[in-house]
Amino acid sequence: MAGMTDKFETLAVHAGAEPDPHTGAVVPAIQMSTTFKQDGVGELRSGFEYGRSGNPTRIALEQAIATLENATHGLAYASGLAATQNLLYLLEPGDRLLMSDDVYGGTWRLADKVWRRYGIETDAIDLRDLDAVAAAFAADRPPKMVWIETPSNPLMKIIDISAVARLAAVAGAITVVDSTFATPYLQRPLDFGADLVLHSATKYLGGHSDVIGGLVATRSDDLAEKLRFHQNAAGAVPSPFDCFLVMRGMRTLAVRMERACSNGPRSSAFTTPACRIIRPPSWSSARCGCPARCSASRSAAGRMRHDGSRGRRACSPWRSRSARSSRSSSFRHR
Amino acid sequence: MTHASVADSPLAVPASLVRLSVGIEAADDLQADLESAFAASVS
Repeated sequence: MAGMTDKFETLAVHAGAEPDPHTGAVVPAIQMSTTFKQDGVGELRSGFEYGRSGNPTRIALEQAIATLENATHGLAYASGLAATQNLLYLLEPGDRLLMSDDVYGGTWRLADKVWRRYGIETDAIDLRDLDAVAAAFAADRPPKMVWIETPSNPLMKIIDISAVARLAAVAGAITVVDSTFATPYLQRPLDFGADLVLHSATKYLGGHSDVIGGLVATRSDDLAEKLRFHQNAAGAVPSPFDCFLVMRGMRTLAVRMERACSNGPRSSAFTTPACRIIRPPSWSSARCGCPARCSASRSAAGRMRHDGSRGRRACSPWRSRSARSSRSSSFRHR
Repeated sequence: MTHASVADSPLAVPASLVRLSVGIEAADDLQADLESAFAASVS
């Protein structure tokens, strides 16, 4: 069924799950075997040899994320940061990495505390400022990779994927989009020119707070080959059970995102005089005409899919007026 | 706490920021939880 439709909801239910040819099982089995019998020396059955290099349950998950991201290759990792680490293996000592100035803290920590020691310099700028992005790529040592997180965590900045990817492509740089917060239900970065899309599957894709995982998808055979090498060489692969859990979560992604998207604005709109909670910071500049006032629809070219019912954010950053106006405010949040 | 790793860095988030990760519970219950938390925070 999945091959006969382009409807996301249907794809999410069926992607990566062809009925088992022997049993007819509609759910991919959790294949725990670490070792696969060879019919002769180097004669592999279905390409499987050793669990780190390849596992049937993992491949089902990898096919599923590839399908949902309109990609041709998917890769699964033991965590979102393991996936991030694998993408950074595409860089060489001396390369520069351009990054949003509002990325997930763990991403920044990995770039700043780890990869800097290995000779990769990371510059963090506001990627909404396309003049600044163009200037970065016009520098003497232009970045070899640009790391976009949109919507960003936690400030919900919306970055123009197409515009940044165009500038990167001209400079021969790789565009990565961390699309964890949007999920492929709301945004498919490869459709807007990104080379690689990354997810912390721990969040919405897994969806049940019971599995850590990372996913990457791409349409580039070349990048996929390099990533596949490092996935095996560095070995940060997810367990078969983790793959099963992420895939199980992805089946219901559409309905969960619908509810989360309707609950988000309602929670944001809720105010209390005690704390004087005001609007999310990015909403004021969204100039969006949709009922949800969502900054997603601000991207007129459709950076995120948005039809009035989608694109609202399920994760809402607020600023406390009292905390902003007075350091002695009783309102505290860590 | 997810952004403790960027404390004192150029990417540090505003101290006045409250981030809610809103799930799929009944919206009325989420609102009640918020009311309760706000009340506790100022008491």
